[in-house]
Amino acid sequence: MKNWFIYLLSSLAIVILLFLSIPLLQMIFGSDINVLLDTLKQKDVRDSIWLTMRVSFMAMCFVLLTGLPLAYIISRHNFFGKSLVEALIDIPIMIPHTAAGIALLMVFGRGPVADFFESFGIKFVDAEPGIMIAMMFLSATYLINGAKEGFNKVDIKLEKVARTLGANPLQVFLKISIPNAKKDIINGCMMMWGRGLAEFGAVVIIVYHPMVAPVLIYDRFTSYGLAHSAPVAAIMIILSIFIFLSVRFINNRLN
Amino acid sequence: MKFLEVENLSYALGDFKLNNINFSVNQGEYFVLLGQSGSGKTLLLESIAGFNGVKGKINFGGVDISKLSPEHRDVGFVYQDFALFPNLSVRDNITFSSKYKKIENREESLKDLAEFLGLKSLLDRRINNLSGGEKQRVAIARALFSKPKILLLDEPLSAIDPTFRNSIMKFLKEMHRKYNLTTIHVTHNFREASYLADRIAIVMNGEVKQVGTAEDVLNNPLNIEVAEFLGFKNILPVKILDEKGNGQFSVDPNAIHLSKEKLVCDYVYEGKLEECMGIIDHFKIYISVGDIQFFAKILKREYQGCYANRGENIFIGFDKKDVSYL
Repeated sequence: MKNWFIYLLSSLAIVILLFLSIPLLQMIFGSDINVLLDTLKQKDVRDSIWLTMRVSFMAMCFVLLTGLPLAYIISRHNFFGKSLVEALIDIPIMIPHTAAGIALLMVFGRGPVADFFESFGIKFVDAEPGIMIAMMFLSATYLINGAKEGFNKVDIKLEKVARTLGANPLQVFLKISIPNAKKDIINGCMMMWGRGLAEFGAVVIIVYHPMVAPVLIYDRFTSYGLAHSAPVAAIMIILSIFIFLSVRFINNRLN
Repeated sequence: MKFLEVENLSYALGDFKLNNINFSVNQGEYFVLLGQSGSGKTLLLESIAGFNGVKGKINFGGVDISKLSPEHRDVGFVYQDFALFPNLSVRDNITFSSKYKKIENREESLKDLAEFLGLKSLLDRRINNLSGGEKQRVAIARALFSKPKILLLDEPLSAIDPTFRNSIMKFLKEMHRKYNLTTIHVTHNFREASYLADRIAIVMNGEVKQVGTAEDVLNNPLNIEVAEFLGFKNILPVKILDEKGNGQFSVDPNAIHLSKEKLVCDYVYEGKLEECMGIIDHFKIYISVGDIQFFAKILKREYQGCYANRGENIFIGFDKKDVSYL
């Protein structure tokens, strides 16, 4: 009886774990392996999965390049408007994704910003860059906040000592700050990439074709029904789980 | 010869301010910044290292370095919690500076430091697997490997088990001599300061209150504030010594003699024994003379007892040589 509290906690925890895992397990183990293999042979499915993975990865790389410095600035400095900047980073995850898609379409689909990029031959509507900005807008938060948490955990004294040992601020950033925040940065990247793979609402507003996997699943569901969309969904779930488990394993080994 | 000169240094951090700091450190000197927690001594040390944009001058070998960034100041810094790089091995921590500046005889220096500091067997270990003492030696080796002109130590003994403090103090002194260092050591501990320091600066509330040789500062505080900080007891008006003026003096509780009979001392008073407390090896005795209360310490090996019962009259006496004027 003395462990009643643990039993209570465990019972409640099991409820949410079952809720989270049963739909995924149903998709994976409820699918016929032959149907899955046949689906994988379809060119539009393979293209769509590759497009989703690739563009989400590119979006993550872009945010890694620009978001890491932002996360570092927020972590290390106090400045006027810091709270506003932090709110700005968090807001995209709170707004409806379709609304975000409309907002992006208004900026990148027409007007001076769209014209500016078009002068370099970059088009967003129904083009890969459109998928990328939709993924970036709605998932950059995860990478930036992950990196910020990582930098917060790096004792500023490490950076100060490194300066006395001859390293300039950029060298300290590259050799001390980033390596010691590595775990949180990689987790942030994984979260962003994963969130990007799943992005539907904003992408579908800007780019219906070429189809990313979530749009393809939706398209098949509305056009042909559950039987045609479920195998694609199962493949996406299996691939995502495989990739994330692999990256997490490597990350844990590195640390 | 003045090696480091801090002139009119000021720096504000929130509500706290380092205010018009002046002191100098001679080449080869072991200089201690002594002050309570929150007095600004670490901030001052960090300002010398170049982490804060300060007002005033920091002359280093005759050159003003106050505008130089930390990587151009040639200082070695050892923090209280050592601040070792967890992503690097012991060896890579120690040799970190060689990636960014030219270190002559790199391998020999590493070998020599590893030998002197007992780190030879630890060079390929991860930082997380080291004890507190080992971490401290790595932090010192890392600072010395960079061949600094001056070594800055921030409370280096406070994270060390008290059992090992004496041996580490001895080691710090040996190291200072062996590598012919100029060292600034920050501490709140008088024992550390009196053992290690050639000269001491007392830092209080962001100001340097007194600078001098260790013996001078610890025995002759300039004012009551410093005297109280240094733990001086019996801070009393000079009037009771039959001297003119409104000044004050202090007398060491250990230098006060007690007796039921009249004493032969330069200053003798008759008072009432207020309290007598037996502590492990001594008695703390409080005697009131009129409105004034004296505090005396009598070692048990010198006298077993309180000389009188509470409320009884007693003579106290001390000599001129034991008086410190404030």
